[in-house]
Amino acid sequence: MNPRRSISSNPASTVKSRFTNGFLQALLRINRQRITSTTAYTPREIFRGYLRVKIAADVSMASAIGSRRAWSRAILRKVRSHGRDGAQVRRMSFLAMRKRNLYGNIKCVEDAGFHQANVLRKLVPGGEAMDMCCLLGETAHYIKCLKTQVKVMGRIAEVFST
Amino acid sequence: MEPNLGTIARSISIRPNREETGLESLQFREEIHRLMIVPPENGSSFTALLELPETQAMELLHSPHSDKGVTVPLSGVPLHGINDDHKSYLPSFNGNLTFPSNKVLIERAAKFSVFASGEHSPETSSVPSDSSANLEKVKSEPADTDSNPNSSQLLVSDPTVNIKNQRSEKRKEREKKGKGCTKKTKIEISQDAEKLPYVHVRARRGQATDSHSLAERARREKINARMKLLQELVPGCSKISGTALVLDEIINHVQSLQRQVELLSMRLASVNPRIDFNLDSLFAPESGSLVDSNFSSMVSPLLWPEIPFNGNRQQHQQQWNFDALHRPLWGREEDSHTFITMENSLLSYDSANSASLHSNQLKMEL
Repeated sequence: MNPRRSISSNPASTVKSRFTNGFLQALLRINRQRITSTTAYTPREIFRGYLRVKIAADVSMASAIGSRRAWSRAILRKVRSHGRDGAQVRRMSFLAMRKRNLYGNIKCVEDAGFHQANVLRKLVPGGEAMDMCCLLGETAHYIKCLKTQVKVMGRIAEVFST
Repeated sequence: MEPNLGTIARSISIRPNREETGLESLQFREEIHRLMIVPPENGSSFTALLELPETQAMELLHSPHSDKGVTVPLSGVPLHGINDDHKSYLPSFNGNLTFPSNKVLIERAAKFSVFASGEHSPETSSVPSDSSANLEKVKSEPADTDSNPNSSQLLVSDPTVNIKNQRSEKRKEREKKGKGCTKKTKIEISQDAEKLPYVHVRARRGQATDSHSLAERARREKINARMKLLQELVPGCSKISGTALVLDEIINHVQSLQRQVELLSMRLASVNPRIDFNLDSLFAPESGSLVDSNFSSMVSPLLWPEIPFNGNRQQHQQQWNFDALHRPLWGREEDSHTFITMENSLLSYDSANSASLHSNQLKMEL
């Protein structure tokens, strides 16, 4: 990864390395959990295990980025308030949309990319409360980080399946 | 008259020494004589304009103040040689004359006009300023109305460019200025650019300049810049034109990346239990060994037996890690195969010594 993105001056602590470390640690934790609990092969258990790994990947990616970006903050927020209040989550998204219309573009339907922007908002974490300009910036950063994530996870899977 | 003055300006530039107005008339005559010898080019240079009969030229020189004297040669200028370039040539001199009567602006305009014609500016500044001040009353040119806005814009833009270079600008204005300089569109100035501490914003020709549209334009330009960045990120997007299609591509790309992450996490979830101990050993020190996702470099940290993470089985792990290290690490190249060799060595070790709790657990896993 580009060393300029690292927080410290240590060239090793890039986003990629931080993500890799965090993700591998999370995988370890998950495995330990699996060992202590019963090894179940029911689809439900498999799905739960898969969910845990996916959430671990997203959270470790967001932690590697830190609070610099809106989407990483949104992911960490989601995890911390996990399942606490479903109604609160929906209320927050409504407020977020109002806030976006206040500060951002009011006459948004006539713009060229309004419908696509809505789809994009659902894809990018935390995209609800962003106006078009911030949304595009966050999407660019998110795409970069997703690419890194795919690369690292692919490499890990490669190593572990040999 | 104006072209002749322009020629005079040019001729003066050839001789930078004599700038006194007293000697000018004599000089002009000399210069015109000199220039008349040069055969007129095909209508693009000032010498073509000197096809004027000499008497007319002299008349012009001796009566710079009278409108009549000024307007006469214009009607009489033989246009055969200078038809095409006449219009293109005139504006730069028209600008001298039709400039507002602000002396400071005229000087600057003179500088710019000479600059535009490619000559040296400082020597000729005195001459055009005088003549332009005198001749700004001349408005009989039919070409004036066309070239007026052009030249006034062209001329005023340069002093403003200078001013803007000197002053601190706001960021929005700086962006616009960058675009305005590179493009060749006509530039309007939204406010008096002379000496006001306002935001110097450049609107392109034909665009509104009130604050709302300016803010909207700035926002649109920001959005366009970010769209360009995104187009570079997403492969295959630079050929597509149009916001909606580009956004469609971006959405597809994000969705495909997210799906890839999900697939890989499913793979890892299914593969994982087999390699628990490998992961433990991989984590020995958290130095910069994971930069390139090339896990071969992680073998070197295995030389150190300390494992700094909190686990229930930490003691055991340290135990067998240290023991296991003795086997594979001599003579092995750094490769991901070392994990397999470690696994093999651990297996053999475990089969040999099944006393520890952890080895039993390993057997269960395998």
